[in-house]
Formats: sequence, structure tokens, C-alpha cells
Amino acid sequence: METVATPKVKQVNENQCQQCMPLGGVVVFKGVENAMVLVHGSQGCSTYMRLTNVEHYNEPVDIASSALNEKQAIYGGEVNLHKALDNVIRVYGPKVIGIMTTCLTETMGEDLERLVATYRQNRGITTIDIIPVATLSYSGSQTEGFWAATRQLVVYYAKPAERHNGINVIIPHISPADIREIKRIFDLFGLEYTMLPDYSMTLDRPYGGRYQKIPPGGTSTQDIARMSGARATIQFGLTCPDNLSPGLLLEQEHSVPLHNLPLPIGLQNMDRLIATLEKLSGRSLPDILERERGWLLDGMADSHKFNADGRPIVYGEPELVYAFSSICVENGATPVVIASGTKSTRLTGLLATLLADADEQPVILEETDFAAIDDAGFLAEANIAVGHSGGKFLTEHRGIPVIRVGFPIHDRTGGQRVLSAGYTGTLAFLDRFTNALLETKYESYRELRKEEMGIREGA
Amino acid sequence: MAEIDSTIEEMLVPYPDLVKKNRKKHLMVKDEAAACCPQIEANTRTIPGIISQRGCAYAGCKGVVVGPIKDMITITHGPVGCGYYSWGTRRNKARADDTTPKDKIFTQLCFITDMLEPDIVFGGEKKLAKMIDEVVAAFHPRAINICATCPVGLIGDDINAVAKAAEERHGIQVLAYNCEGYKGVSQSAGHHIANNNLMERVIGTGTERKNGKHVINLLGEYNIGGDGWELERILKEIGYTVNCVLTGDSSYLDIKNLHLADLNLVQCHRSINYIAEMMETKYGTPWLKVNFIGIDSTNQSLRQLAQCFGDEELVKQTEVVIERETARIAPVLEQYSKILKGKTAFAIVGGSRSHHYQYLLRDLGMEMIIAGYEFAHRDDYEGRQVIPTIKSDADSKNIPELHLMADEKMYREAHVHLNMSKEKYDELKKAVPLNYYEGIYPNMKEGQVIIDDANHHEVEVLIRTAKPDLFLSGVRDKYIVHKMGVASKQLHAYDYSGPYAGYNGALNFARDVVNALTTPAWKLITPPWETKEEPRSETHA
Repeated sequence: METVATPKVKQVNENQCQQCMPLGGVVVFKGVENAMVLVHGSQGCSTYMRLTNVEHYNEPVDIASSALNEKQAIYGGEVNLHKALDNVIRVYGPKVIGIMTTCLTETMGEDLERLVATYRQNRGITTIDIIPVATLSYSGSQTEGFWAATRQLVVYYAKPAERHNGINVIIPHISPADIREIKRIFDLFGLEYTMLPDYSMTLDRPYGGRYQKIPPGGTSTQDIARMSGARATIQFGLTCPDNLSPGLLLEQEHSVPLHNLPLPIGLQNMDRLIATLEKLSGRSLPDILERERGWLLDGMADSHKFNADGRPIVYGEPELVYAFSSICVENGATPVVIASGTKSTRLTGLLATLLADADEQPVILEETDFAAIDDAGFLAEANIAVGHSGGKFLTEHRGIPVIRVGFPIHDRTGGQRVLSAGYTGTLAFLDRFTNALLETKYESYRELRKEEMGIREGA
Repeated sequence: MAEIDSTIEEMLVPYPDLVKKNRKKHLMVKDEAAACCPQIEANTRTIPGIISQRGCAYAGCKGVVVGPIKDMITITHGPVGCGYYSWGTRRNKARADDTTPKDKIFTQLCFITDMLEPDIVFGGEKKLAKMIDEVVAAFHPRAINICATCPVGLIGDDINAVAKAAEERHGIQVLAYNCEGYKGVSQSAGHHIANNNLMERVIGTGTERKNGKHVINLLGEYNIGGDGWELERILKEIGYTVNCVLTGDSSYLDIKNLHLADLNLVQCHRSINYIAEMMETKYGTPWLKVNFIGIDSTNQSLRQLAQCFGDEELVKQTEVVIERETARIAPVLEQYSKILKGKTAFAIVGGSRSHHYQYLLRDLGMEMIIAGYEFAHRDDYEGRQVIPTIKSDADSKNIPELHLMADEKMYREAHVHLNMSKEKYDELKKAVPLNYYEGIYPNMKEGQVIIDDANHHEVEVLIRTAKPDLFLSGVRDKYIVHKMGVASKQLHAYDYSGPYAGYNGALNFARDVVNALTTPAWKLITPPWETKEEPRSETHA
């Protein structure tokens, strides 16, 4: 690597690139059947998290709060938490309640396990699963929150189970459209599988029918319980830290072999998934997927001359950053800046392998902010960016188009429908990427040529 | 009447008894036969576990009041989340002007101390101090705000001491706000905390009165989608000098001079009435509650404002502008109201907007059948006369009240501010409701409902049973009502539209509402192979 900027050389975090830890955890519980989620903290946390999710998913996102005030901040939040659970149970009738902690309750030192145990005992609750997750934002971002909540679900439900033929599929925070595409691919191989979490219906609900407070869909708890008996886990979590890895837990505690793969975004990443699926299913590549691979390759060949002009900045959550960097590299648009607001122990090493043959090495920034990304992009003459809406300032300041992927997308519609997975999704992404470069080309071509030839307007 | 009562009963059914009892106190049906406004419970604790629309003290302080001050840098002292959530989301527009060049505008930037575990354990004061130094070195702001998040108060970081030391190092004001999210019961606490600090530290420190015969401030206008700009256009044309629009597109320099204006206009009563009242006490500045949402209400506010100065020329020019603007806007609105006449709306928004938009809806032939606030106090519902009777509780006591006295040097009687005799001022007070707000209740009609701190479940039931044509709220609620086949209009960020204030704003709003109600999608919900009598079954139950 040319430069690995030391994080925190400055105290200022100017225009942050990551969000808070419970935000990631909330999304996971939205992907569990009949689940509600409660944020144990002040009222603002849940309202802010609803706002961010609602703006991205364009769906109702109910998140309850224990609404702590000053008194509880001093004397403890037990009474409020219990009242909150009472009300959630009465109004929503959930089967599962996830409780996310916050900066407030973590700093107070609330013992959630105890508070929940007391509640269950006092109320005699036996049929509702109440699952606390420690999501303290001063120790992680939404990425860690997402993994931690997923892992906690596995810890809670996966008890020694009978062996079965199913596969576990564990995903990072991707769009509902991507989830559906990955499920389609598994279906094409005829595999029986459990996807965790699965918010493809709950956070992207088709129109029609009666409005239900808890939308249908999500991974069932019975299926999560059976994950310990599966014959393999496929986890799209190359960058997932070991202590938060649900797949690793299943392997270590329940001897379920783990295939830790990159997200199937990009041709080679998708090929890796296919190879694994062929092995697990004993089937060869279905015809339709072979054709889709062909279409993707056709598109890659046709667009290569435009993509080679691309000097992308790729930023966001580590797992997505790795996947989208892969697409860029295999299309000849080697990233010039790769950045994440999240701290990852793995990303830099993975990128080193990915970029081993690159002529020009990118600047890699971890635990960074958009001020640093903007500076690095400017120095590296970046001309396109790939990431979430936080990067819109790259367009405003530098005229760099941002191809929106990841979370949150709040200044464009359809965040839940952004498709980048599979051969089909990769091609959909690639076309958007190439067309953004073409748009710049069409806008600036004449000006550039005039400049080269020294022609001045009106001269 | 009976119908609405049964709706309310249905809504309360799922609650445990205590919750039911509590929520009943937050509901009121207008009864015109009743002598005065019944008491409504407001600004009390949110019930845990029901999905309230309220935010926190930090949101009210940083997100609403101090965040939009364009030439100040606002640092969020805390872990990563809160800063991101309040980053430019309220669409408060700011622009460069004579005194604030483009490179002194910081509202689109987000600064956080990004506290990590060691900071929580060992304290974050040093990090904050270092950050202030870096921000000063890099941006040279005129002044700095520091807004605290939840952990700051718990670990005992003394942000006031850090601010004070930084002021000495850098020679600029550094204001610290103890607006930890758990303070008070909603964002309303944060408004008060912000008001206090601006009043105590900033207002009154300037010495330059802007040129002009009648200098006014417009308080509680946040310039969302350019509302403040439209109002400045109108006010300037009539002949006023607008010293400051607080805090939309406001500058620190102008806030310092707030006390040099003759009169304060108050648009959002909830978030800014503290400053209006405290300025009245300290400087004698009178204030006038205005409403610039809607044509009739804008005209009325402008007329009342003109009367305040006893200046015939001003009154004449006001009429000229009103006549010209109304003539320009009214015929277009009339076309829109052909589509909108008789339609109904349900609003649950903010602490003043539901009241404001009743007027604009009526201009369009619509009625707000249910009106609610997220974080209002009793005076916003019932009128300021109830303030002395509002019982303070543990939560409101946590927000410091400033006990100000008349300033020895700068206090002037209200009639001196308005450049008229005492007798004339007394007469004026009879004609114009100075220093008073009547609340939303008097403007409601028989059988219309007021709901305080409505939650997700209640919204759903009310939409289903009261069947409004339009739902006015924030983005968090709009997708529920879309799912239920009802149009919505976001009244926090206007769905990236606006301005909605003043004359041009009324046109924008009317156009947006017509677009929302007439979009072909609503007619396509039932597919041609199904009849309307057999609604489409749940697609994936």
C-alpha cells in the first residue's frame, strides 16, 4: 500500500463516515419473524434510528424506546424498561423482542441480562423471547452492531440440534433486493437453507392487504434454532471480526463448517460463491446463471474502455467496501481511495491481496471521516465514488458523482431496491457505474478538447 | 361527536389500564358549548415502549435551535451516533450575505468528538479541548457551540470548564450546552437549554443596530426549505429591516444584536418563546406572535405588525403589498382549492406547526380534523394564560430557569421600543395581542380532536377510522399512511420542497398537496381483475 493513513492523527471527526452501533442491531431484529425491537436509552435514540431507517427503506420502521429521563439515568432504568416491555407486548404482540443498549445505558452500567431475567420472572413470561444485545457506540459502529446482534441471535437460539441437510447463510447489512437475489441463487441450486437475518420482506413490503404492525416475513426462530445442526455455514463476512462472527461461533460450538466468503458482488466473488454452492449441492451451474454470467461478461467487455477512465473512491462498511473494490478492480477502474469509518482488522490485508497486481496503489483510510476522504480523493484525482449518501458532499464540493450503494441512502429513493448481488446485480451496478462516467464524459468532452487545442470561447 | 368518541375508545383498547388512563388525558375533543378550554396533559413523560414521535434534548438544542446558526461551528461531544443523525437533516438553508462570506458558513459540516471507550472511562475533556483547538486553527469560526450527548453528563465531563478555558486561549466565545439526551421529556427541553445560553451569553453583546426605521427580529423561524427567505422578502418590501431570523440562516453577529431591534416576531412559539419572554424582561422588547403560514393569516399578521409602529406610511405600504400579493396568489389558489375543497387533514407535528397549517388548509377549503403536537406544552394548546398554573415536575425542574432582571443600561419601556407614547401603546395592546399566544384550541371547530404526543399505534387507528384525506407529519410516519392508501405531506422537511411560508409558500404547498392527493397510484391499488367490493387479500400473510 502506498499510504495507510494513521487513524486519529487529529481529534476532529469532520463529517463522519460511520453511524452508531445500535442502528445496525435494530436492522437485524427487523429480519426476524414476529420480532419487535426496543432501544434501552433516551427517547431520542430510537427516534433518530427510526428516522435513518425510514429514510433508507421507505417503510414504516417501529422501534420502541424505554424513554429514560434524568431520574432513571441516576437511579437506573429498570422500571422504565419493564414498562416498555409491557407496552410493546400489549400493543405489538411479538414473539421476539430485541433490546439494544445505548451510550446512556452502557455508561450507566445497566445489567440487561439481570433486568430481563427479573422481568420474565415477575411477569411469568415464558413464550416471548427477550434478547438483549450490548451495542455501545463508543466501542463500535453500525457494522459491529449488525454482527453483534446476529451473533446474539445464534447464541440465544442455537442449542445442540440434530444434524440436517440445510445450509446457514449469514449476511452483512445489504439491501432487501440483494437478499432476494442471493436467495434466488440458493434456490436455483435446490439447496435448503436458513438466511439470517432476512429483512427482504419486512423492510421492503409489497403494497396491498391489511396493514400489520409487525410485517410478515423474517427468519423464524425455529430455523435459527436449527442452525446448529446445519451441514455448513456460508457467511458473507470476510471482514467480520472473530469475536463477533456468528459463523465462527457455529463452527466452534456446534462443529458447523464455515465458508467465510466475500459478498457475491463482482464476477470473481460470485464465482467463488458458485464454486462453493456446486460443492455443497453436488449440482453444476444452472443454465440461467451461466447465461447471466455471460451477460455480465459481455457487459464488462463492452464497457471496459469507459471503465478504465474511472478513478473511484470506495467508502462505507468494510464488507461492502471490499466487494465494491473488487468490482472496480476487475473492470479496470482501480480505486484510488478506499475508506471506511469503521475500524477493521481485516480490510487492509484483504485489499492488499486484491490489489497486488495494481499499477497504482490506492490510499487506504480506516476509522476515517469524509474530510479525509475528500482530501485524499482530490489529491488522487478521483472522478467517481461508490458508497452511501454521506458522500454526497463529494459531488457538491468536487463534482464527483456518487453511485449510491450501502446504508443509508437518504437523499435518493429506493435504498431498499438497490441491487448489486449476483451476476445480474453486478451488471446492474456496473451499468450505473459506467453510465456515470459516460455522463461526465459527455458533459466535459468538448471543453477538454478545446482546452487541449487552446481554443478559447469567442476568440 | 359520538363517532369520534368511539374511535378514541377503540384506539385505547390495547393499552394496559394505567396507560389508558394516562393517554386519555392527552386527548381532547373540541366542544364549543364548553365555557373554556379543558385542560390537556402535555410536556409530561413519554410512556416507555409505545412508539412516540418525540426526540431528545440534544435534538432540540443542536438539531433545532443552535445547529442552524450559520457562522458558528457546533461540536457534538459524544460517541459517533448523535452527530450523524443531526447532520443537516432539517434542511435549514443558509446563504452568504454582507457580513458572512461563504467560507464562514459551517452548517453543512458535522463535527463530533467521536468518543471511544477510553474517553468514557478516563473522561473526554482533553479530546474536546484539542478538538476545539483544531477547529479554530482550521476554520477560524466566530464562535463555537458544544452540545453534550448522554454519556457526557454521566461521566462528569465539565464541558463548561473546557469551554471557558478555550475562550481564554482563542479569544472567541465557546458556548457549552448541557443538553444530554435524557434531560427533560422531549426535544422541548433542548430548546429551553439553547434559549437560555443564547440569552445569557450572546444576545446583548453587540452594539450595531442595523440601519432602518423599523428594525425587527423574526424568532422561531428556521428557514426550512427557504421559509425565512420568503418572509424576509415580504417584510423588507413593506419597509422593515430584519435584523435576524432566529435561527434559520442566522449569524452569530446578528444574534449579538438581537436586543437592538424594536420588536420581536415569534413564529414557532414552542421553541423560542423563552427568548421572547426573557428579552421582554431584560430589555423591554415587546413581542408579537405571528403566523405566516396561509394567506389570510399572513395578511393578518402583517396588519397587526404594521399597527405596532403607529406609522401611517407603513400601514399603507402593508396594504399595497397585501393587495398585490393576494391578487397574484388568490386566483391560483382558487384553482387548487377546486380539487381540495371539503378534504380533511390529520396533523401530528412539532410544537406549533399544526396550528399554523390550520389556516393554510382553510385557505384551500380543507379542515384539519385531528391536530396534534409531539412536544408542545399546555400553553401551546390552551394559551399562555395557563402558564402560571402549570405545575412544575421533576423533569421541568431539571431545566434551569433564568431569573433575569431589567438591564440597568439597556432596558427601555415597550412603548419606547415602538417609538410611541405610553397611552398610544396601551391602546395598541387592546387592538393587537402583544406578548401573548392563544394556543391552538380556540381555532379548532366542534368535534375536532386534539392529541398530544400521538404514537405509531394511535396514528394507525386514527387513519383507519377518521379517514383523513391527507396526513401531515414527519418522515417517520409517512410510510404507514402510504401503506394505508392515504396521501402524506412531510411538515418537518417538506419532502424536499418548500418554501411553504408566506405567499409563494402557500402556492408551493397547494401544488404539492394537489399532487399528493391526485397521483394516479391511489387509483391503481385495486387491479382490474378484482372488484372494489373484494379488497385485495393480504399478499403474503
